[in-house]
Amino acid sequence: MKTGTEIRRALRDWVIRTNGKIEPEELDDETPIIEQRIVSSLQIMDLILFLEKLSGKPIEVEKLKPGVFRNIGVIHRNFFEEPSHER
Amino acid sequence: MNAKRADDLEKVPGYRWHANGQSAFSGELLGLYQRLDRLFFGWAREYDAAEYAFPTFIPARELDKVDYFRSFPHLATFPVALDGSEENLRAFAGRGPLSAEGNVRLTAPAPIRDVITPAACYHFYVQFQGETLTAPRVVTTRATCCRRESHYLPLQRQWIFSMREIVCLGTADEVKEFLTACQERVDRFFKRVHLPVQWNAATDPFFNPSRNPKYLLQQLDPVKTEMVFQDLAIGSVNFHRNYFGEAFDIQRAGKEAFSGCVAFGIERWIFALLTHFGPDRADWPDLN
Repeated sequence: MKTGTEIRRALRDWVIRTNGKIEPEELDDETPIIEQRIVSSLQIMDLILFLEKLSGKPIEVEKLKPGVFRNIGVIHRNFFEEPSHER
Repeated sequence: MNAKRADDLEKVPGYRWHANGQSAFSGELLGLYQRLDRLFFGWAREYDAAEYAFPTFIPARELDKVDYFRSFPHLATFPVALDGSEENLRAFAGRGPLSAEGNVRLTAPAPIRDVITPAACYHFYVQFQGETLTAPRVVTTRATCCRRESHYLPLQRQWIFSMREIVCLGTADEVKEFLTACQERVDRFFKRVHLPVQWNAATDPFFNPSRNPKYLLQQLDPVKTEMVFQDLAIGSVNFHRNYFGEAFDIQRAGKEAFSGCVAFGIERWIFALLTHFGPDRADWPDLN
């Protein structure tokens, strides 16, 4: 079982690797990754697959609420803390 | 008055509906059209917006940079001309140009490289392509826009319609500040004239939305807020993030510029005013 710190680090690493241009120091838990298009529309499905793998739980795309991917902190709260993202 | 049906609207002096999705105005109604556009332009001038007048066509190559044809193929309308060879023109003219149903019996068309403007603001990103902005830039234009639809309704859903836009390019914060202030400005107008309009989060009308990641992203991170009268969007406030800045290499503060626009559908505003206040000018609100 990963700790919250490890999960947030894994998320940060994924975003940096996927974006390919952003420097690690430009990204913290509050950086708006969707608004700033650090994660693009074409990468959103990859993000969902990555979250499923990391959490070990399926994500029902139709039930996702606006704002759930706003930043790494919000993603962590929504997908890795109880209750699940459907709250 | 309920002006939803064409035969109701036909009774409004100065209005003529064309069943192919177009409206004609004269008299008091044309005056209303012009005053509305002046109202929107006045809001643009509160931001010292420079006004532009653009051509009717946009090169398809430019719209392709923002993936327009995959996102909105159902809306695109193309200018078509005949291939100019003597033989082709002679064949067209000689075979009876129209069918019994009124369809043009085309012979070989010339290559199509343009699209009829589908939204006013695209022109700005093409115009400012490759520029580095040293300050936020607010601009405005009114365009005749063309969007193919499956059906048309007078003033509400047209193939050809008029759109006034106020566009801001800048940093994310500059654009968001502009959009918030603009929305408040327009909302004050609705309250002053007592026009019942709601602000609703919305998505763009993507083709095959369930298979389009852009649609999913717009649902997860709404960037479009519509001004809704009854069930009709008469305008919208849109935050594009840095989508156009990236596609057209427009820079601001060392990064790709963010952009946003406020758009007003003039015919739909006329519909809202006629429906709510009736067909007599004496009952219309002061638009100055």
